[in-house]
Amino acid sequence: MCKSLSGAIIVNANPSHLHPRYSNRILRAVKSPESKANSLALAELRRGETGLVAGLAEVAGFDDGSGNAAVLMARLRDLGFVAGARCQVIARMWPAGDPMVVRIGGSTFALRRAEAAAVRVARIGEQPVPRVQLAPKDTSAALA
Amino acid sequence: MFQQIVVAAIVVLALAASVWKLMPARGRLRALLALDAWAARHPQFAGWRDRSLKPRIVRAAGAGCAGCAANVGIKPPQPPR
Amino acid sequence: MDAVVSQAPLRIALIGVPNCGKTALFNRLTGSRQKVANYPGVTVERREGERVAADGRPQRVLDLPGTYSLTPTTLDEAITRDVLLGRVANAPAPELVVCVVDAVHLPIGLRLALDVKRLGLPMVLALNRMDVAVRRGVHIDIPRLSAELGVPVLPTIAVKRGGADALIEAIESSRWSGLRSVSEPRWLEPTAEDAEQTQSDLRGVLAAVGYGAPQENLWFARMDALLLHPVAGLVVLGMVLFIMFQAVFSWAEAPMALIDGGMAQFGAWTAAHLPEGPLSSLLVNGVIGGAGAVLVFLPQILILFLFILALEDSGYLPRAAYLLDRMMGGVGLSGRAFIPLLSSFACAIPGIMAARTIPSWRDRLTTIMIAPLMTCSARLPVYALLISALIPARGVGPFNLQGLVLFVLYAAGILAALIVAWVMKHFAGKRQYSPLMLELPDYQWPHAGNLLLGLWERVKIFLSRVGGIILALMIVLWFLSSYPAPPLGATGPPIQYSFAGKLGALLEYIFAPIGFNWQISIALVPGLAAREVAVSALGTVYAMSAGGDDVAGRLQPVIASTWSLATGCSLLAWYVFAPQCLSTLAVVKRETNSWRYPIIMAAYLFALAYMASFFTYRAIAGWG
Repeated sequence: MCKSLSGAIIVNANPSHLHPRYSNRILRAVKSPESKANSLALAELRRGETGLVAGLAEVAGFDDGSGNAAVLMARLRDLGFVAGARCQVIARMWPAGDPMVVRIGGSTFALRRAEAAAVRVARIGEQPVPRVQLAPKDTSAALA
Repeated sequence: MFQQIVVAAIVVLALAASVWKLMPARGRLRALLALDAWAARHPQFAGWRDRSLKPRIVRAAGAGCAGCAANVGIKPPQPPR
Repeated sequence: MDAVVSQAPLRIALIGVPNCGKTALFNRLTGSRQKVANYPGVTVERREGERVAADGRPQRVLDLPGTYSLTPTTLDEAITRDVLLGRVANAPAPELVVCVVDAVHLPIGLRLALDVKRLGLPMVLALNRMDVAVRRGVHIDIPRLSAELGVPVLPTIAVKRGGADALIEAIESSRWSGLRSVSEPRWLEPTAEDAEQTQSDLRGVLAAVGYGAPQENLWFARMDALLLHPVAGLVVLGMVLFIMFQAVFSWAEAPMALIDGGMAQFGAWTAAHLPEGPLSSLLVNGVIGGAGAVLVFLPQILILFLFILALEDSGYLPRAAYLLDRMMGGVGLSGRAFIPLLSSFACAIPGIMAARTIPSWRDRLTTIMIAPLMTCSARLPVYALLISALIPARGVGPFNLQGLVLFVLYAAGILAALIVAWVMKHFAGKRQYSPLMLELPDYQWPHAGNLLLGLWERVKIFLSRVGGIILALMIVLWFLSSYPAPPLGATGPPIQYSFAGKLGALLEYIFAPIGFNWQISIALVPGLAAREVAVSALGTVYAMSAGGDDVAGRLQPVIASTWSLATGCSLLAWYVFAPQCLSTLAVVKRETNSWRYPIIMAAYLFALAYMASFFTYRAIAGWG
């Protein structure tokens, strides 16, 4: 169903400063251990977009210094956000697309952006999606 | 006169019931346990003790505290210092 | 085998992820019926049931809170793990674990099953919702699954009669008693390698049993597109809540009139057939006029609960939590707080207990502190009485003005809660990140039997309150307002010379600035036991002051003719805030393990209530 692939975007771990750059080798990258560098955060997928999970990565905003970031990451894994799983963003709230609803493995979960930012995915889908800065205006366009 | 005795009895019963119902769960359990200790010394109450006191104590011990954080050995997470 | 051991009931624990139908299966096993809801984490209480196997051996089944893994993020997940490990003081480790897995969402349940199996406890796996799985094209090779896991796997349909027969047969097998107290469960916090291992095991098992993801349901997708839409979703949520409050008034009219008329006739009949004297006064004024006055509101409470139960069952509530997460985040609450707060509309006590599903202590505390501001069903009789006495029942556009006022009162409580939460956000310490990570379960039609059971439970609770604590308090109040008898030649109504009358006169000094008369002041005191008692107390007090033959069950016209609008609105404002419920404060003490928070709660709520009433009274009195 998803034969054509868009480029992966390399991003800074901090979602507020995106430095997108293209790469053509996602599928290989997803399988390989260094894949996390070639993927983008789930939080950057827009409504309707599908991604292939590459893995989990710690991000800022998740950790409040009390050390529960690891527990939250473990919970994401328990919910099925593991390498190779296919997920789709089915809704994003206003403003700024936070929180969002993700369908994965036949189940549906509501995640906040900070949580979705910890999931690294490779974007797959029939139409390549234009590069965008994650701003409220763009999410609203995607939702319209 | 008869009416007044009946009314007085009803009022006393109602007062006891209100106090009982509004008592904290722990106090109620203590009262039941004290009653049980008393009944244990009087063999003529053995049947009543088994039939109606025991389940009440079990309920009083469970209802108030079974789901209680203090009893499960877990304290609620405390605010970070 | 040891005779003593085989006599003690076999301890069975049910474990599974939220929404796997575990609670419904528990009902099938034990026959003890309880609420089955579609919200993750509704099983906060520890629930236990006794059952007897076909051969007469007793079994004790424990329903553990749902969890996605043994690494806990919330208090009730920690409880689940600790019960399994036998760390809980009054609950030794189970001797048989029934791991319930939703066949439709096999991977997520199977991961937990793999974790649980590693504990080394005897275990069977119940593959639940098999009917839905077949309908949605999910294929599972059950014998293969059993072979892969090395435990018996039994297909079940928890919501169908006889749907758990295979499981019952399996847990009644005598082999489990042979395994009793053989193994000590052991568990270590899983490392990254353990997680990798579980992941590859899971993948292997899923491939072996031929599992494929369920077919997407087109209707679910369409409903989600509407209900999760940032604008349309919120509009629908607002409409649902609004219709709920309108229905509370408009649907309840006929049954309420029926009960009201019945109570009045019963009172008149009693007065006519008993000789004049204290007994007649006790029955007519105390029992029928007092406790009976609150009985009228049963239909409204049932309608409210019908809506809440149906929403819970349908799977809509977590979606509402998603829609409101951002808004609630703005005042320092997590979207997860939505469910405890919504349960607080029924009663603050289960709401406060449900706050255990909130991972962060700070968010949990905020939720607990504002839960009493949600309008609980015990306030409904007070609101309904005052609204129907003081607000005309005319239409405003398509709406009923009375329903509109009720909606405003509910909204006022919510608004106040948001403001309090916002204030707390600035006073409490550094905020801990509290995850949302909420499962949105598949939609389903509310199960009619479930709804009826839930409503029946409500009827029982309400009637036992009316017949228990309310009745007892009303008899005491009747006594206090009848004695001492007025002196000879007294001119006022006899109640003014009684204990209650004197207390009321004293309290009036405090409450006069906010427009309460002495009758209200008296009613507020027993109303501390439970809010709806105030309605009964007003009934008794007014019946006593009228001298006793015509008012029983007819409180509303008396209020309509003797209270000013300002007084009525002031009392309404009082009830939006006042912590008129001792049990709530007791539960807060229990849940926070300290006296500090219930005291703070009572203080701030009384202060808010007094201020709100004062301003309402002054504003309306000055304007009107």
